[in-house]
Amino acid sequence: MTFIMGISTAVIFGGGLTEGASGVSKKDILIGSAGDKLTESVADKLPFVKQWRSIGAETGSKTGEPVVNDVYISEERLLDVSERSLSSAVNFAKAVNSFDKSYGGTLYFAAIPTSTGIYGDNLPSYLSSVTEKQLTDRLYDEIDGNIRKIDAYTILKMLSENYICCRSDTKWTSYGAYCVYRTVIQKLGFIPISYDKYTIRHVTDNYHGNLYSRTGYMESKADILDIYEYNDGTEIIECVGTDYDGVSKDIGLYDIDAVESGNPYNLYLGEPMAFIKIRTTVNNEKSLLVIGDETADCFIPFLTKHYSEIAFISADRCGENIKEYVDTDLYEQAVFLVGLDYITEKY
Amino acid sequence: MTYSSLLFIYIFFPAALGIYLITPKKFKELLLYAESLVFCGFMGIRVLLFMLLYSIVNYTAGLLIYQVKPKVKCVPLAAGILFDALMLISFRAEYFSYLHDFIKLPEGTDIAGISIFTLSAIGYLADIYKGSIRADRNFIRLSLYIMMFPRLIMGTIVSYDTFAHTGRNLHINMAEIGSGLTGFIKGAAKKVIIADQLFALYSAVKATALSELSAAAAWLGCMAYLLCFYFTLSGLSDMSVGLCRCFGYRFPHSFNYPLFSPRIRVFVSKWHIQAIHWFRKYITRPLSSMTENPYISKLIFAGVWALSGIWYSFSIGGAVWGLIIGASVIAENKLSKFRRIKPNGIIVTMFILALSFVFLARGNISSSLGYFAVMFGGNGNLADSFAVYLLKYYIVILLVAVYASTDLFRNTIARVKDMRFGRAVSSLAPAVLLVLLFICTAFMAYSGQSDSMIISL
Repeated sequence: MTFIMGISTAVIFGGGLTEGASGVSKKDILIGSAGDKLTESVADKLPFVKQWRSIGAETGSKTGEPVVNDVYISEERLLDVSERSLSSAVNFAKAVNSFDKSYGGTLYFAAIPTSTGIYGDNLPSYLSSVTEKQLTDRLYDEIDGNIRKIDAYTILKMLSENYICCRSDTKWTSYGAYCVYRTVIQKLGFIPISYDKYTIRHVTDNYHGNLYSRTGYMESKADILDIYEYNDGTEIIECVGTDYDGVSKDIGLYDIDAVESGNPYNLYLGEPMAFIKIRTTVNNEKSLLVIGDETADCFIPFLTKHYSEIAFISADRCGENIKEYVDTDLYEQAVFLVGLDYITEKY
Repeated sequence: MTYSSLLFIYIFFPAALGIYLITPKKFKELLLYAESLVFCGFMGIRVLLFMLLYSIVNYTAGLLIYQVKPKVKCVPLAAGILFDALMLISFRAEYFSYLHDFIKLPEGTDIAGISIFTLSAIGYLADIYKGSIRADRNFIRLSLYIMMFPRLIMGTIVSYDTFAHTGRNLHINMAEIGSGLTGFIKGAAKKVIIADQLFALYSAVKATALSELSAAAAWLGCMAYLLCFYFTLSGLSDMSVGLCRCFGYRFPHSFNYPLFSPRIRVFVSKWHIQAIHWFRKYITRPLSSMTENPYISKLIFAGVWALSGIWYSFSIGGAVWGLIIGASVIAENKLSKFRRIKPNGIIVTMFILALSFVFLARGNISSSLGYFAVMFGGNGNLADSFAVYLLKYYIVILLVAVYASTDLFRNTIARVKDMRFGRAVSSLAPAVLLVLLFICTAFMAYSGQSDSMIISL
């Protein structure tokens, strides 16, 4: 009853039919998408929604194929089986090529596969009509020849026996990021820090990622979020994030409090920012521009041991004038580091 | 907004019913109309305006047919039917989707129930023309007949006379509401629990290239489509009948366990009863009455079935589906008359249905014939790991669907009720219904609705 009253009140009195509460605009009311948006809003506000979804996932996987909300549920892990299109690879490649034309330095590119790309070989073919390997190949074919490509797919695929991808999330683990870092940093002209020099801190072993959120499947295995620490005397002098409204604030490489928040993956670099500038005590006057999505968040800390300055721009800003945030010509090297799920979702 | 959505089940419907129950009887019709306007409004203001315009056109056509001289009353009749048919074709046929584009609906949005209310409206005009009923001067009642929200989505097609009579003699009491809710939840379970899972099975087969399918997988896809089609239609129909009953309108059910019938004739008599009755009443009978030639009558019979197939899918495949059903009935009658072959038996009927539904599913003849080839081993592959995979995961829901599509469950319950412990079993019914509603809610907790639709009438 409280639920009904709550939603009714939200709809009738709380501006549910106006832009905001349920994201319903006048246009939605005109063309008829208001009903769908309100329906989604009701689902999100459903009391005990996690439990409902868990029951739905449990019952659904017992009475039919273990695919819930475009997520394949296996004993070992959850895998994203959303529809993919090769056209997204073409469109994203255009954006990268366009950036390269306006950029004076050396541009590197790495597309990071999701857990489906690494572990999805045994999925029925109809669930992966366009594989991540095909997407990566198409993407790399479309990207201009002068951009230096890094084959993260092969690196991760070779190491698939290790804990390189989350079991409840599409993203890689810190170890997966480290494995790719070893190759990337060599291409950028540095010697990677060897694995044994790091002290690994398990911040949480109870991380339930984006695939868990989509299914609510409570029997899915939780993940570990690690921080790789190497005390070589290098320190962070400045780490300033600018949010999507243009407001800047000091942030840290890690936000431990985020582990208790709604998105524990914000442990790395905190809340999503449009632009982050990091200055370190590394005294080599080398600077790097990174353009990436959330996948890059746990990768950036590895780079801070090699550069005196790193600028990280959200890939969401890729199609816009990046120079509003940073003068790209000040950075002699730039890296695109984007998850394939970001590319297929946004392009 | 559909019936199988959280917004409808937990907010709109309880609110609409609650207000309806406390409203004095003389205002109930007006209130139900206002609630129907709100329901249609969820499809967009443009759709709402379209439906109002649709009501006005039919209201005016009805009055004109009734009032003008007998010699010219065929003019407003033809104009009204032409308008209704054009609107139906515009919104449902792919090749005539200009009106859909014109009023700028988002891609994939349909006007819910247009196939149902078009038949209702044409029936209304034809009945006035024949003199069976008078044109109603009450615009609200006529508009309610077209857009009444408990009947709008896959509702029962009843004549205007029946509708108006039911509206004047509303049965509103707790027993009726309880019975209506029972029907609604049963329908929701059919749609959300069974049809949606079968839709996933059908989609898995459909997404696989025909050249890669084994015969077993093709048969699984075919059976999934057939059962999903039935459970979607009958589920939504049961929900609609249940809703109408809650609001005091008693309408008959559209399906009477047709699938596992011993003869095609029996299937035909139990399948989408009111819609098929409509085609018989307004098309088959008037056309057949013009001829005494039995062959032409049979041709008309099969042709009207083809038309009903087009009404379902607006494709050549739909027409072939109808032709197969119609021709099978004719052949069955002929063969049973000569008693050479007795083509009875559930297996033969099911086999014919399965083959005919391939046409409905594939939409065109060449694709359907290609699918047939695969079903009979044309790929040189009788079964593969994909078929085993599908069977492994869907065997439970397939068995449940087969069982639920027969009248075994209903008969068992009826027998149990007569037994000594029948009362105790009956008292469990509310708990079972609650569990079903619980599972439906869990399945809809992701997007807020059950959005997979194999057919949209």
